[in-house]
Amino acid sequence: MAEMWIHMGPQHPMTHGLWNLRIKVDGETITDAEPELGYLHRSVEKIGERRKYFMNTTLTDRLCYASAMTWTHCYCLTAEELMGVEVPPRAKYIRTVVLELQRIASHLMWLASYLPDLGLITGFLYGMRDREMFLNLLEIPSGGRLLYNYVKIGGVKRDLPPGFDAKAERVMQTLERRLKEYEDLYDNSKIFRMRTDDVGCYSASDAINWGITGPNLRSAGVPFDLRQADSYDAYPELDFTPVTTSAGNGRSDCFSRYRQRIDEMYQSMDLVRQALVKMPEGKVMAGSVPVRARGEAFRRTEDSRGEALMYLIGDGTDRPYRWKIRSPMFTTVSAAPHFLKGYKVADVPAIMGSIDMCIGETDK
Amino acid sequence: METGQFVQQLAKRDGASDGSVLRANVGRITVTRAASQAFFRVLKEDFGFDHCSLISAVDNQTGFELVYHFSIIDMEGQMLEVHVELPRDTPTIDSITHLWGGADWHEREAYDLMGIYFIGHPDLKRVLLPDGFAGHPLRKDYVYEIHEEEW
Repeated sequence: MAEMWIHMGPQHPMTHGLWNLRIKVDGETITDAEPELGYLHRSVEKIGERRKYFMNTTLTDRLCYASAMTWTHCYCLTAEELMGVEVPPRAKYIRTVVLELQRIASHLMWLASYLPDLGLITGFLYGMRDREMFLNLLEIPSGGRLLYNYVKIGGVKRDLPPGFDAKAERVMQTLERRLKEYEDLYDNSKIFRMRTDDVGCYSASDAINWGITGPNLRSAGVPFDLRQADSYDAYPELDFTPVTTSAGNGRSDCFSRYRQRIDEMYQSMDLVRQALVKMPEGKVMAGSVPVRARGEAFRRTEDSRGEALMYLIGDGTDRPYRWKIRSPMFTTVSAAPHFLKGYKVADVPAIMGSIDMCIGETDK
Repeated sequence: METGQFVQQLAKRDGASDGSVLRANVGRITVTRAASQAFFRVLKEDFGFDHCSLISAVDNQTGFELVYHFSIIDMEGQMLEVHVELPRDTPTIDSITHLWGGADWHEREAYDLMGIYFIGHPDLKRVLLPDGFAGHPLRKDYVYEIHEEEW
């Protein structure tokens, strides 16, 4: 049969953001694919070169609207490394708490967008409802619902108010109860399983070579988590091991990526509890934060979607000379042609949805 | 292997210099452009750096600099930062996509935004900016107040 190219996007229900996936099909089977990006390119790196170090936290919030806290945190961590700023212990714990709450909110956002792709509209309503509880929690210290600007170079903007841990505990208990319901609902759903089992497979060694990181790599059974491998904030003092799932034989499929994120939500709740219990008293902001910086520094963090890395070069002025961002999704999407090949056109939403795309950080 | 140990071993190679340890598990090294290809092969095959985290292109005004961040996917999290200097008039270097598939789009991005040419890259074209865009906007001499064409 004659092969042809089909455009899925930039306006397509599957894309979740503005990007274009060109697929080459032979009948219903995908023989080649090519993602096209750039529709949301704002050149954050170039804008950042014209702004002072502390101003850039407003930009980093907007890198990914579903996971704003983690990106600002990654930037602040790099800037602190560059300037040699020591963060007070309490601020480290607060950061850990808000980062994990953000991770849960981000994973719930993924759940809410993935399930309607597969025809489970209920999943959208449930996921969004639960995410709202976590957005409300994050609103308490930061004042923002999506864009927080809460993590600052040298600490966090303000302390957690009294009673925060009780509120967080109530929300987490609700989510735990509901997650069990969802597992019953989705894991046992025959339609959901038919569309995700053994679809979009890749092996662990391929994933490493292609640069896939985060939940998408751990879902192939690789216990690699930057919260431990390159630890930061309060994570070295918390007790946890990386969660992994697998579709068997060190492979990852859509279902194992779904399981991975559900399991990570349980782990995040455990980490929030541990951090709230161990949290010391004290200041939440370093005494003095320099305005100028010279030298170079990089830090990497475990973002909700994988390995986030920022590289900063300072030339002694109050603005970065060069600021480079590694977006985990940018690399993961580049591998999409490899794990789309051989599947059907109808599998595209299931496969591309399962890697949790965020076009804001991908296009930068 | 200790970070200091492997940085020392790597610094002995041809074209490598300035081996140092930045912090726990993170090393830094400078390599000449001519020696870079052989160096990267050794890094991947003998030292087990299986993950190419990031390729950053830096405009130093006098020339360009490529900063590679490589890491090992295990719980120790070893990392190596490799600096390669490129002359301003010929900003070219051999591609590493045949060693690390994940380097593919990082190289495309460096080409797109900074105008570095990667020889042997399977499909070196713009990734974030549209085809036909003039210039490479992350270069320091790029004048971006003037837009001759509407995008």
